[in-house]
Amino acid sequence: MLLRDTIHTARKALSTNKNRSALTMLGVIIGVGSVVLMTSVGASMEGLILGQISSIGAKSMIIFPGQQEGSQGTVTAGFDSLTFEDVDALSRLKTVTSIGPGMFVDIATAIYGREETEPRVIGTVPNYFKNRDMPAALGRTLDDRDILGAKHVAVIGSEIASDLFQFENPVGKRIKLGDLTYTVVGVLEPIGTQFFQNADEFVFIPLSTARSVTGQKYLNMVSLQSVGDFDLAESDVKSLLRQRHGIVNPKDDSDKDDFIVRTSKQANDILGSVSLGLTAFITTIAAISLIVGGIGIMNIMLVAVTERTREIGLRKAVGARKADIMLQFLIEAILLTVIAGIIGVILGIAISGLTAAIVNKFLDTYDFAVSVPAIFLALIMAVVTGIVFGIYPARQASKLSPMTALRYE
Amino acid sequence: MPSKKAPLIETIDLCKSYFNEELETPVLFDINLTIQEGEFLSIMGPSGSGKSTLMHILGFLDNPTSGKFLFRGDRTKSLNDDELARIRATRVSFVFQAFNLLPRTSVLDNVMLPLLYHPTIPASERVERAMHAIATVGLTERATYFTNQLSGGQQQRVAIARALVTEPDIIFADEPTGNLDSTSGIQVMDALQQLHDDMGRTIVLVTHEEATARHAERIIHLKDGRIASDSKKFKRVRSNGKGKLK
Ligand SMILES: Nc1ncnc2c1ncn2[C@@H]1O[C@H](COP(=O)(O)OP(=O)(O)O)[C@@H](O)[C@H]1O
Ligand SMILES: [Mg+2]
Repeated sequence: MLLRDTIHTARKALSTNKNRSALTMLGVIIGVGSVVLMTSVGASMEGLILGQISSIGAKSMIIFPGQQEGSQGTVTAGFDSLTFEDVDALSRLKTVTSIGPGMFVDIATAIYGREETEPRVIGTVPNYFKNRDMPAALGRTLDDRDILGAKHVAVIGSEIASDLFQFENPVGKRIKLGDLTYTVVGVLEPIGTQFFQNADEFVFIPLSTARSVTGQKYLNMVSLQSVGDFDLAESDVKSLLRQRHGIVNPKDDSDKDDFIVRTSKQANDILGSVSLGLTAFITTIAAISLIVGGIGIMNIMLVAVTERTREIGLRKAVGARKADIMLQFLIEAILLTVIAGIIGVILGIAISGLTAAIVNKFLDTYDFAVSVPAIFLALIMAVVTGIVFGIYPARQASKLSPMTALRYE
Repeated sequence: MPSKKAPLIETIDLCKSYFNEELETPVLFDINLTIQEGEFLSIMGPSGSGKSTLMHILGFLDNPTSGKFLFRGDRTKSLNDDELARIRATRVSFVFQAFNLLPRTSVLDNVMLPLLYHPTIPASERVERAMHAIATVGLTERATYFTNQLSGGQQQRVAIARALVTEPDIIFADEPTGNLDSTSGIQVMDALQQLHDDMGRTIVLVTHEEATARHAERIIHLKDGRIASDSKKFKRVRSNGKGKLK
């Protein structure tokens, strides 16, 4: 029998038994669909995390007060361990440059005319914008004169700008941050979330101004850049701070420090382990659902063999060889899984697209992404499932003797 | 050794037993039977006498337990599964009491079924050959119907068309009218008769009805797995007595 005829025959048998075919496919559809969905969510998450991390340049590091168990462990935020004196000391180090300290200012509202919004106010210096790659879209960022004069000026994030000013140009306008009035000197380009905070909701004022408004003597972050070798710069920073804070930590245990140094390298490690965990998780789900789907297929194909014993007998009586019957049932199983696989892929993509659309409403850096290799892998797995779990019933069918099969009631 | 003169089918001391869990059920004993090309033969006998069993062996659906079975003078004992399948695909055909058509499948597809497994008939000729066979049994109008939309008599004629489509050397019909009313039965027998008379097909008909058996030129009776009588031998004796008859 020609392969073309076998495929045709298998296809006919499937369409003659639509209900059974549909039921059989369900397991594989769910299996393949969830693989595609999970990998798509994985790819989107990776993109999300990558977006957060790329906010630290390759030469940049950021120091936070606080403590961390292990290099990727839980973080306990500190408050007052990072001081202005630390910053002065850091600026004397030869291996780092562009020191950009920052301080959170507890101001709940930003008001312009009748518009009001909730900003996240940070007092900082010009270096910060350079280190974090935050250029101005309108006007300018902070400059040295702002700092020296402790001026009441503000650089606002793009969302703050659109909340307060809609289509007006904010530059030169005066806004109220808490009780005080500031002149807007610039609007930043849209940034999106960084370190899982919406950077477009930031309002930056000069660090000197923030210090006099709050009276705060410590800093909430210090960004800086390495000069020359990055690892050397990192260890210089750490030992300087340990020395100044009286910490003995020769083994570089992060939980002994009272500060945390974030680098893009660490961030990449985190990304790596996150995606590794995600991959393992997805692979497990994929394997389980495909096995379940496969057993479903085997079961229903076995039922089909019994149900169609007379048909098999007849085919043999009119000249079908063992191989013809075997191939017919095998191709039926493979066709089922391939069709189910394709439906699964389409459903998976549709659902992940929907998920992305919904999540994107809350997290605008979560973008729809599909993993093309995962789709092919899922399809190949589906075919393999069809073959593996189709072989046994197909063999059973082919072994029937025409006589026994024809007498079967 | 096989020559043109060799009979289509010849059995020598053919025996058949069924084995169910070591338990032997002997069904056929020392069957010596010769069938020439072009014959129309009836096998008669009470239910359980072994008619179907004999027919299945002669039609390569089953193997004898002992004895010789020659097809066109060739011993068939040594044939493997695939060779048997090939003979079933090309040389022999069946019409069963229970029709055995594929349900929810068109008449045309049912009749084309054996052609799918035929090693030499090209795919391009299938429809034409099937339509020709369908025309032979007078069902051209019904070619696109599903078989379950047809009457019993029509279904059995579809089965005859299916048996015919590969132009086999021999057609076996096992109680083809057993499930039919008398009118349909007559139509089916007319169709078989026509295959023999007009197309010269060799037909082996299994039946337990006298009236049906009378369509055949030769009748053998089976009783308890043995040939109890064979009208050919009887005729020969008579024709010898009366000189040449025909
Ligand atoms: N597969 C089988 N296993 C055991 N016994 C069988 C089998 N098939 C038929 N028989 C027995 O063989 C005998 C002849 O059966 P069968 O050839 O069908 O008779 P008939 O067609 O003349 O009615 C019966 O006694 C039947 O029970
Ligand atoms: Mg019988």
